[in-house]
Amino acid sequence: MPSALSRSLRSPRVLIALGMILCILLCAIFAGRIAPNDPSDQNLLAILAPPAWIDGGDPAYPLGTDSLGRCVLSRLIYGARTAMLVAFFASLGAMIIGSILAHISGYFGGTTDWIIGRLVDIWMSFPPVILSLILMVGLGVGLDRVILAIILVDWTRFCRVLRSEVLIVTRHDYVSAARLLGFTHWQAIAREVLPATLPLLITLVSLEMAIAVIVEAILSFVGLGVGADQAAWGQMIADARQYVYQSPWNLLLPAIAIFLTVAAFNLLGDGLRRTLDVRLAESGR
Amino acid sequence: MIGIVGKLIARRLVTAVPILLAVSVLLFCVLRALPVDPAAMSLPPSATLEEIEAKRHEMGLDRPLPEQYLIWLVDALHGDFGRSIQFRRDSGSLVATTLPATIQLALAAMVIAAILGIGGGLLMFRVRGTVLEPLTDLVSILLLSIPEFLWGLILLFVFGVMLHLLPFTGQVAPDLPAPRITGFLLIDSLLSGRLDIFLSACQHLILPAVALGLAFSPTIMRVLRSSLFDVYHEDYIQQARLRGLSEGHILIKHAFKNASLPTLTLAGVQFGILFSGTLLVEVIYSYPGMGNLMVDAVRNADLPLIQTIGLTYCVVVLMINTVIDSLYVVLNPKLRVR
Repeated sequence: MPSALSRSLRSPRVLIALGMILCILLCAIFAGRIAPNDPSDQNLLAILAPPAWIDGGDPAYPLGTDSLGRCVLSRLIYGARTAMLVAFFASLGAMIIGSILAHISGYFGGTTDWIIGRLVDIWMSFPPVILSLILMVGLGVGLDRVILAIILVDWTRFCRVLRSEVLIVTRHDYVSAARLLGFTHWQAIAREVLPATLPLLITLVSLEMAIAVIVEAILSFVGLGVGADQAAWGQMIADARQYVYQSPWNLLLPAIAIFLTVAAFNLLGDGLRRTLDVRLAESGR
Repeated sequence: MIGIVGKLIARRLVTAVPILLAVSVLLFCVLRALPVDPAAMSLPPSATLEEIEAKRHEMGLDRPLPEQYLIWLVDALHGDFGRSIQFRRDSGSLVATTLPATIQLALAAMVIAAILGIGGGLLMFRVRGTVLEPLTDLVSILLLSIPEFLWGLILLFVFGVMLHLLPFTGQVAPDLPAPRITGFLLIDSLLSGRLDIFLSACQHLILPAVALGLAFSPTIMRVLRSSLFDVYHEDYIQQARLRGLSEGHILIKHAFKNASLPTLTLAGVQFGILFSGTLLVEVIYSYPGMGNLMVDAVRNADLPLIQTIGLTYCVVVLMINTVIDSLYVVLNPKLRVR
């Protein structure tokens, strides 16, 4: 594992992705210091102003203003905070639920495995977008609700993929050996199985973060996201769509922000998959 | 072979019943847990408390939850899915009028995704080992990072707003009448001999279908490429080379045929996701399909309609999975033995 980790950190994809994520993360953490204006301050005298470098732009609003005269740059920066919070907590929650069930399912097998398997089947017969929309109707809008909805929808991704990995690892002799040494089942899972499934788990978390950013944007776009008082990229797009002729910038900028964030997580996931997965790393793909 | 496929479909249908029942229970529980009162919503705001109580009794909302579910289930089995609160119409018929438009969009998008995905996958495989490989790899990851609603907005912006090349609202030009025979506008316009409507419908379909297809092609590309890598390790590829066949011939006639199986499985899973991806594209292009209806229902907390549409999505996804599984058996001779 340590050698795999250092191999990952030498991969250019992983480094570039980590660099991008770090930049977005810094924006998210220090949003209050970086943002030139309050993201919800409305200036009705400067509605739909273009970016500062274009004729008619106002240097006080470097990337212009939206239909309510709010600073686009500040909203982008605060939107990064929303996106990162959702990406981090939603993927963490989905990972915890999904991987616990996957390990129980794959390790114990039998009836437990069957029940968890059917539960995943039922969950996955719902298209994820539809299920999250229905859940948001039930949960109501808000940042915590968005995170909860994503966790409730996406734990199955972890469960299904990890279960087959656990199934393979559990058959190895060293797991039986640990049991012979007097390990309880839970000790065997935690000390012998989990370390072997960890590379896959890390890769999945990184890919899930990309999905969480997209889902948050989708929910905010439809108007069932974090709520009107918080800046979110999806919301900015929904707002800008109505004024696309007057100020195309307002549509393009949040779209670019979503793309860069999702691309960074996907690139990280791909880089980790190549370097952490021993089989893939050896075949050189 | 027909027997095996028949058996497979029968087995799938048997397992689909408990899944659908479980899904409907789940939907019912989530939607009944809402802090909204369907009785109060279907009456004018001036209604008195007694009137609301009477309506609650009439709608069966004062009975215990399991009983309510059973009433709903029996009605649903008789084709009655409850009245939509906002449209005051049977929600089943609302879904039936919008579903064909969504299926039409999803199928068009799948064709585009398949063409782009297969083309891209073959191209990515062809440039393996050259300087272009890392580049195509990077491009495919970047493409993977553009979800359908961003594609929708980008295409709308470039081809609709900036270049004025294609229409980007609705299913057909507003001044043309939309004939209704089967519900599928492309087919109906041809059946009624209106080529102008057909062309207009095609034009309106291009942007949403391409947006959706573009979003799903990178996954197909990547799986096809890695299946091709696996296939090229097999002896018969070496054999074909020794027989002096050209690389292009080997790739298309021998490798692609075998690599298409895992790609097809994935395409099936993708088609389920793509089908729900129509929702956002429909919203962006004001396309009159089931997705737009769903968003409308969700915004207005129209419980019977949400329930019916949610269930419809599940039925469609289960059906797609069954079709893909049967196709898999048809294409893979190894599975026919049993």
